[in-house]
Amino acid sequence: MARASLLISPELCIGCRACQIACKSWNQLPGDKTANRGTFENPADLTPDLYNKIRFIEVPSEANPVRWLFVSQRCMHCDDAGCMKICPAPGALYKTKEGAVAFNKDKCIGCKLCAAACPFNVPRYDKNDKVSKCNLCADRIANNMAPACAKTCPTGAISYGDRDAIITKSQKAGYSKLYGQADLGGLGALYAFHDAPKLYGLDEKPVIPEMVVFWHQYLKPLSWIGIGGTAALMLLHYVAIGPKKDKEGNDDAK
Amino acid sequence: MQNSDLVRKESTFGIVNHWALAISCIVLTISGFGFLFHLEGIGNAFGGFPAMKGIHNWAGVVFTASLVLSMFNWLKEALTFDSDDLGWILTAGGYLSHKAKVPPMHKLNTGQKFFYLTLLVSGFAIIATGFVIWLMPENKPALVWSHFIHNVSFIIISAFLPIHIYLSTLGNPGTIPIMITGKIPYGWAKKKHSKWIKELEEGRSH
Repeated sequence: MARASLLISPELCIGCRACQIACKSWNQLPGDKTANRGTFENPADLTPDLYNKIRFIEVPSEANPVRWLFVSQRCMHCDDAGCMKICPAPGALYKTKEGAVAFNKDKCIGCKLCAAACPFNVPRYDKNDKVSKCNLCADRIANNMAPACAKTCPTGAISYGDRDAIITKSQKAGYSKLYGQADLGGLGALYAFHDAPKLYGLDEKPVIPEMVVFWHQYLKPLSWIGIGGTAALMLLHYVAIGPKKDKEGNDDAK
Repeated sequence: MQNSDLVRKESTFGIVNHWALAISCIVLTISGFGFLFHLEGIGNAFGGFPAMKGIHNWAGVVFTASLVLSMFNWLKEALTFDSDDLGWILTAGGYLSHKAKVPPMHKLNTGQKFFYLTLLVSGFAIIATGFVIWLMPENKPALVWSHFIHNVSFIIISAFLPIHIYLSTLGNPGTIPIMITGKIPYGWAKKKHSKWIKELEEGRSH
């Protein structure tokens, strides 16, 4: 199957947060107890029980004193995912055939390395120290249904479909380049907007921490080469030169 | 003294210390490879990856205690170098030629000293970063850096393991009983650790 993706169009978002609720409803996530911070944005950040959050951003200017932006914040389902690179537990994080980065709490060892390697600060840990984040409703998309957020969105600000088709369609609609189109191998959550990403609280150029990449690409193979290489050398020594014999070194004993 | 008589080389403390260090180090290395390369067979042998994490962490505690205590056993000796050590290096400890004349050695030969010092330095690096990974995962930059240093130290320690295991088994037949009983045949000690035996005998004659 071709890669699927979300298309998030904050310019269409009305900040109703139906997606937040639908996400909680489908994924059976309880509400978080929060306090009034003087904004409709609530909770303040992603939590283990909040996979998708609408960020409320006020951008007053002289031309438009009440400009208010709404944008969905969640796992971006990177193709080249930092969380998966660093995760030491096979199967704890995995790719679905649609390209979503899903998780299996039973296999998670609770080390939190994924949270440190994520370029978007997404993974959270629940009270049992297990990873928790948007999985693109892996169970729904496996059955050809749109993720709960996309299904619920009343204005089309979140939609779901074939990734290539989304890109082609958006280009026709005047978005020459979507946010996330080429970053990290291409994100599974694409954003269509005309302003700078910073305005929406998104990094211009999201990257995996360089130490993670450096280790994974260059040094990790050395761990096999190191132990295998010295083991091979020892074997070579045994065959070519041979072990020390009892008679040797008698001179020392003078 | 007959050549077959036994001389005490390691105390009981030293023997227990060595094997605690060795066993914890091997458990840590095997589980480490399991984590790094997602080796399901190793994970299953430890009762699954979440269980293996617990075993890895606590084996790390044993390794830490053993490495700290090892300094009382071998550090002083490992830091003592003289011109014979240079000679040992130049003759490659006699390992590259059976005819090489190796200078007289004390209780530890030059290779053993370097092995111990390497283990000590990379060991403390892997211990410090291991505890950061275990106990401070909320500090993301510290976690990423510690993970990196932990793994680099892992490459060094795991590459040294086959050398030590080979030289103490196949490469030098008869070595293992010394680390089990702590006693070395007098003839062997006189050949390979003549400076130590000389010192021992001089000490006795006083």
